[in-house]
Amino acid sequence: MKKRCLILVVPVLICFFITQAQSNERCVTDQAGRIVSLPDKPERIVSLAPNITEIIFALARGHLLKGVTTFSDFPVEAKKIYKVGSYVKLDLERIVSLNPDLCIAVKDGNPKDVVDRLESLGIPVYAVDPKSLDGLMQTIFEVGELLNAGDRAETLIHNMRLRIQRIKFLVAKAESTPRVFWQIGISPIISAGSNTFINELITLAGGKNIACGTSRYPRFSREQVLSLAPDVFIITSMEKGVVFDELKADWGLWPEMPAVRNNRIFLVDSNLFDRPSPRILDGLELLVELIHPELFKEKH
Amino acid sequence: MSIRSPFILRRIITISLLLLFVLIVVMLAGVSMGSTKIGLKMLLQSLLGEKMADTMLDTIVWQIRFPRVLLAGLVGATLSLGGLVFQAILRNPLAEPYILGISGGSAIGAIIGILSGLSRFPGVSLTAFAGSLATLFLLLIMSSGKSLLKKNTLLLSGVMVNAFCSAIIMFLVSMTYDARLHNIIFWLMGDLSMCDINQVGILALMLLPCFIILFCYSHSMNIILMGNEMAQTMGINIRRVTAVLLIVTSFMVSATVCYCGLLGFVGLVIPHLLRLVFGSDHRILVPASILGGGSYMIICDLLARVLPQQGEVPVGVVTAMVGAPLFIYLLKRSKQ
Repeated sequence: MKKRCLILVVPVLICFFITQAQSNERCVTDQAGRIVSLPDKPERIVSLAPNITEIIFALARGHLLKGVTTFSDFPVEAKKIYKVGSYVKLDLERIVSLNPDLCIAVKDGNPKDVVDRLESLGIPVYAVDPKSLDGLMQTIFEVGELLNAGDRAETLIHNMRLRIQRIKFLVAKAESTPRVFWQIGISPIISAGSNTFINELITLAGGKNIACGTSRYPRFSREQVLSLAPDVFIITSMEKGVVFDELKADWGLWPEMPAVRNNRIFLVDSNLFDRPSPRILDGLELLVELIHPELFKEKH
Repeated sequence: MSIRSPFILRRIITISLLLLFVLIVVMLAGVSMGSTKIGLKMLLQSLLGEKMADTMLDTIVWQIRFPRVLLAGLVGATLSLGGLVFQAILRNPLAEPYILGISGGSAIGAIIGILSGLSRFPGVSLTAFAGSLATLFLLLIMSSGKSLLKKNTLLLSGVMVNAFCSAIIMFLVSMTYDARLHNIIFWLMGDLSMCDINQVGILALMLLPCFIILFCYSHSMNIILMGNEMAQTMGINIRRVTAVLLIVTSFMVSATVCYCGLLGFVGLVIPHLLRLVFGSDHRILVPASILGGGSYMIICDLLARVLPQQGEVPVGVVTAMVGAPLFIYLLKRSKQ
């Protein structure tokens, strides 16, 4: 009889403790497959990458951010928040000094050492890994759940889906698929190949990414670029002005390239394309205008 | 090692105590300064082990700064001792693990380890050690036989091996595209920031026996410096001593390289500086290099952390920027 009592009582007790624990702590699995236990209502958040800062602000939870990375410059409010180093060179001491109850990291950008050390110091780190637009929407959803902004996240995702639909509808009307070459940075010539965000954006915007191949970020020589004969040439860079003009003049020496002949070399703000955040749709819309200007002329 | 005269013993102890005092002062400075400001009172409370209301300060002082200061001390000690030993064996003031390519070899091993996704310990440590042993064997084969003891052959082969290693490092770096590139580049410039106390403990366990072995051989180093014939008449097996010293030093250097990357110049500046101040007896220079090298690295790391407004500069940059002018100044002065 006693044993039977025990069998009944023990699970009840365990359940009781679990629910007790869950009332202010919860366990979740992040996108890197790690199990993270974090507070129900995180109030001191450190974002370890600019795109995460943007996502958190888009979810209207910017006031919870106590620390962001050096290049978190959007929205303007983010500039005023305490900086904890750049996302590849985080300052552990600064992060710890903020006493955060949650850090949000990017899996392939933040050094794993830092994440491990933060964990060992008892600071929960949730890693996200948005690799595509779907992945980005999933990330926004998950971050929304973490910060108790689920409704806001759903509206945001719904709007993003609508914008993507609109673009797909528009691009379907295009008659051609221009060959696009995307140059990241200035020297060496690096492009974005298969399985990258940029490849997905180019395809959605109705272009053909001619850098698609085996490697994710292939390197090109000038000769190879010329032989690929791109119709549209897009350069993303953090540097603007003079540098771009020089670069454009450089490529301008080869009028055999269709993009040069038709004056379709463009410089775009890398922040719109390199950061998987809701702003990437602004980038996508801009890209459609650059690749298919004719679609917009018909409209007006 | 033989300590026959009590005079030498007394000198070793005096100089070591003096440098130990410097090391402790520098360590205190290293723990008390950083990117977050901590009041002196709070700091003292934390250092004296009093319970504080704010555990965050305790974490910063004990779990972030303290391991880092210890690591810097260990690494500085190892590198300057490595330089001292190489300069003695090769009887060449320019010798240093970095210049001879031992650091480069272990860096190649470590990069291969990082690229294949191994953990820092034991994975990357082992590949780094394998790399340094490989370069060491390459060096010994290139200058095999009698010419091992001819200082110029070994140094020249070392310079070439180092050039070859740098080329391979550059090759590996240029073939890397993804996020690991940042890791490798920061690590190559010398980075002390990412070690917790356990890793520092492991490193200390690997290094301390090496320090003791080298101290035991310090008298042999004195004799080797007097020349081959002299050493042979004194009953020293030059080949064996050289081999032991080279292997122990390479082991030490590769252990630090895999934790902190390439830090040049320490092995050149500190032994020369100490030799100018304390004379050329290795029984004194070995402990002095350990304590002095440690202090120097802690100071450099402190500068690397405190000087820039945002973030930090790699400590390897500071060691060279402070070390090179200091070295030139000392050289000029000693000539006069």
